[in-house]
Amino acid sequence: MTTTKNARPQWDLSGSTFRDSQRSARRISDLRFAWLLILPGVAMLLAVVLYPLVRSLSSAFFSESLLYPGREFVGLANIQAALGDDFVRLLWQTGIFTVGATVLPFIVGLGVALALNARLPGRSILRGAFLFPWLLPAVVVSFLWMWIFDASYGALNGLLEQLSLIDGPRAWLFDTTTARGALIVAKSWNAFPWIMVMLLAALQTVPEDLHEAASLDGAGKIRRFWTVTWPHISGVAGIVVLLEFIWNFQHFDLIFVMTGGGPAQTTQTLATALYDSAFRSYDLGQAGAIGILWMIVLLVLVVFYVRFSERKEAN
Amino acid sequence: MVVTTETRSAPRQRAVARTHRSRRTFPLGPWAAVVGFGLFAFAPVYWLLITSITPDSLVYRYPVTFFPESVTFDNYRSVFTDPEIFGWLANSVIVSVITAVLSVVTSMYMGYSISKFRYRGRRTLLYFVLSSQMLPSALLLVTLYGIFATFGLLNTYFVLIISFTTFTLPLCVWMLKGFFDNLPDDIIEASKIDGASNWRTLHAIVLPLAAPGLVASGLFAFMRGWNDFIFALTLTGPERQTLPPALVNRYIGEAATDWPELMAASVLVALPVAVAFVALQRHLVGGITAGAVKG
Repeated sequence: MTTTKNARPQWDLSGSTFRDSQRSARRISDLRFAWLLILPGVAMLLAVVLYPLVRSLSSAFFSESLLYPGREFVGLANIQAALGDDFVRLLWQTGIFTVGATVLPFIVGLGVALALNARLPGRSILRGAFLFPWLLPAVVVSFLWMWIFDASYGALNGLLEQLSLIDGPRAWLFDTTTARGALIVAKSWNAFPWIMVMLLAALQTVPEDLHEAASLDGAGKIRRFWTVTWPHISGVAGIVVLLEFIWNFQHFDLIFVMTGGGPAQTTQTLATALYDSAFRSYDLGQAGAIGILWMIVLLVLVVFYVRFSERKEAN
Repeated sequence: MVVTTETRSAPRQRAVARTHRSRRTFPLGPWAAVVGFGLFAFAPVYWLLITSITPDSLVYRYPVTFFPESVTFDNYRSVFTDPEIFGWLANSVIVSVITAVLSVVTSMYMGYSISKFRYRGRRTLLYFVLSSQMLPSALLLVTLYGIFATFGLLNTYFVLIISFTTFTLPLCVWMLKGFFDNLPDDIIEASKIDGASNWRTLHAIVLPLAAPGLVASGLFAFMRGWNDFIFALTLTGPERQTLPPALVNRYIGEAATDWPELMAASVLVALPVAVAFVALQRHLVGGITAGAVKG
């Protein structure tokens, strides 16, 4: 244990002075205090995160149901079933949603951040106002966009018809070709403000004289962005994109409320499929198997993240 | 740049003139961008508010009326006089407030310990806390449901509070650690030299200084509890359910949805968070960006 190791000099009288032993005595009480402080949090993380995680993943190797107690070892059968059960389609659909709901809000967020980084009057009020979509609870975002996409009286159909872009109302959320895009738009609307705030904070670290020097050397706006601005914000941009990617990969609320995975399973993702396995089919083994495959994908992402941050540190 | 024939100083002078000019004139480009993105950001919010005060006869009309001729508050009246909705609102308040308090207490202790003490396993702990944020909550939910069922705890406030508190820990610990990192060690040393214990130093000296951070992380935890959908939907029944899942069960069904009333109910759900945010905006934006920009 760390405590005993640090306490050793107390008995090792060979070269130690009184002050040394007193300091190490204080060290022990400091350590005990430090450990005491983390105890409640660690206990909660172990009980509510780590144990359920291990238990969930282990159910992948058992036949287990929410309906009756007991579990029976089945080896890799669940994972084989999950892989066969059009897993590739599920992964593809999750991937499209994840990439779309990361790229689109990133572009919007970067655009707003760059615009608000200019010397505009009322900039801080605008920054606060633009955060509004991010504050709304996911179900409110879902309700609002379901209403906008509504086939009969939806605002989107009304707008597009007045602009003569469509010739009849469309059921955006019930059409297999548009449902996924509609979800991505709703999610992007909800997510871009957070990206904006992060990028805006990064933009404020860009030294102004570098910009002026570059423009004195005759660099245009686009050139200045790539040579001066981007190197300063790329670190934060990378973190933002990666976190958005991980969050979207497990996103549940909007999809569940707005389409329920439909129409014809086209908006089903790993998250909603896992939920359905557990709480609609009561098949915990199946849910665990999807969970295992999910963790493998996540692990790959984390390895990328560590590589990325190591490279950043090396620079 | 195709200015090779000119002398070296000419483009420089022109550029100087350009920067000076652009600073004085109206920044047209940024404003055009703000207006364009603003439409995307705020048109839906306008639609939310307008629908909630439009009479049914104008809402269900073809073609869609973007600027209704008359206004009604009937939708809000029926939401506010509904005893069921009031019950869910009370559940939401109870769960979110207790979550916020518990989360602030737990994460300030953790954040302080990680920030100001050096011990083995400290970095591992920090990474463990951070990585737990990346776990898919649907996966944890499955087993948590089983555990809570075994102990007969389903459909209680406790299951929601303990889950939400734990899930806000990573972010709150991270935020508060950043706050404590910025507090000079001298303050703590001085207090100890004066004879104060660790416990007293933390509560009497450090915490008052960290108050803005505590408020910000408390609001984050409150929002986590207030906004959650999937946990409340799965772990509680109608009596203990918070507003988000209850509203989904109530309004989104097979039958036609009462959109104006649902929009009014949505405003009710969104309002507390919006008000708290406006009041605490300055601390919050700092809190949101604290970890990433520095790290």
